[in-house]
Amino acid sequence: MANDPEISTRQKGDVSVIDIKGDVTATTGQPIEDAYHSVTAAGTKKILMAFAADCYINSGGIAILIGILSASKKKGQAVRMTGLTAHFQKIFAMVGLTKYTQIHPSEDAALKDF
Amino acid sequence: MASENKFQLHLPSALGVEKVAMDFAAAVAKTMNFPADRVDDLKTAVAEACINAIEHGNKMDASTKIGISLTVDEGRLQVAVHDEGGGIGQITTPNIESQIEGKTDTRGWGIFLMKSLMDEVTFESTPEGNVVKLIIHLEK
Repeated sequence: MANDPEISTRQKGDVSVIDIKGDVTATTGQPIEDAYHSVTAAGTKKILMAFAADCYINSGGIAILIGILSASKKKGQAVRMTGLTAHFQKIFAMVGLTKYTQIHPSEDAALKDF
Repeated sequence: MASENKFQLHLPSALGVEKVAMDFAAAVAKTMNFPADRVDDLKTAVAEACINAIEHGNKMDASTKIGISLTVDEGRLQVAVHDEGGGIGQITTPNIESQIEGKTDTRGWGIFLMKSLMDEVTFESTPEGNVVKLIIHLEK
């Protein structure tokens, strides 16, 4: 039943963009973590997580994202997010993720925020 | 399907089936004219209740099932999620600061989300298993 995520990375100047489509859950989170580790190994200090509008994100996926924000804080990386629906923006604020990342309405706005 | 205002669904204990329950609950909520943002809240809460039932109640045992019962009352929708497991353990509220610092596990947000998004949430342990009831009102 899971919609396996399609994860890809690309560079926009000095920002590493991680594009995320599909499910963001405990069982599908590994490729997202792999993408984070990949851009980190390449030395990036600025990461934009770009979610597709139809992403399904549950508490297991939120745990994956907290883990990435935890690691990025230790490494001094800045993480921004975009593409999230109003519902998930609300949930991320409820959980407190927005204390550790900024959510932007568009990729351009997020890129300008670094 | 049961009586006119009650709808039931049984699903195998496998992660991913919560999406079926989400769509089921959303379809009923839409017929009751819940606004789109409240339907989204309901979908997330139902998903989290199902995930807990599968992971913690039924321990991912594929031979077990979860049950989803929707009861429609005037201006109110109740979703009860049943599992076949033992008692619910202590419910603790996760702490984002502690998780970011790596002091605690990053999981455990399901019950927090249910309580944050629904108007009422109750947890019961019965001899047959656990029941989580999610209640949402048209007039919030």
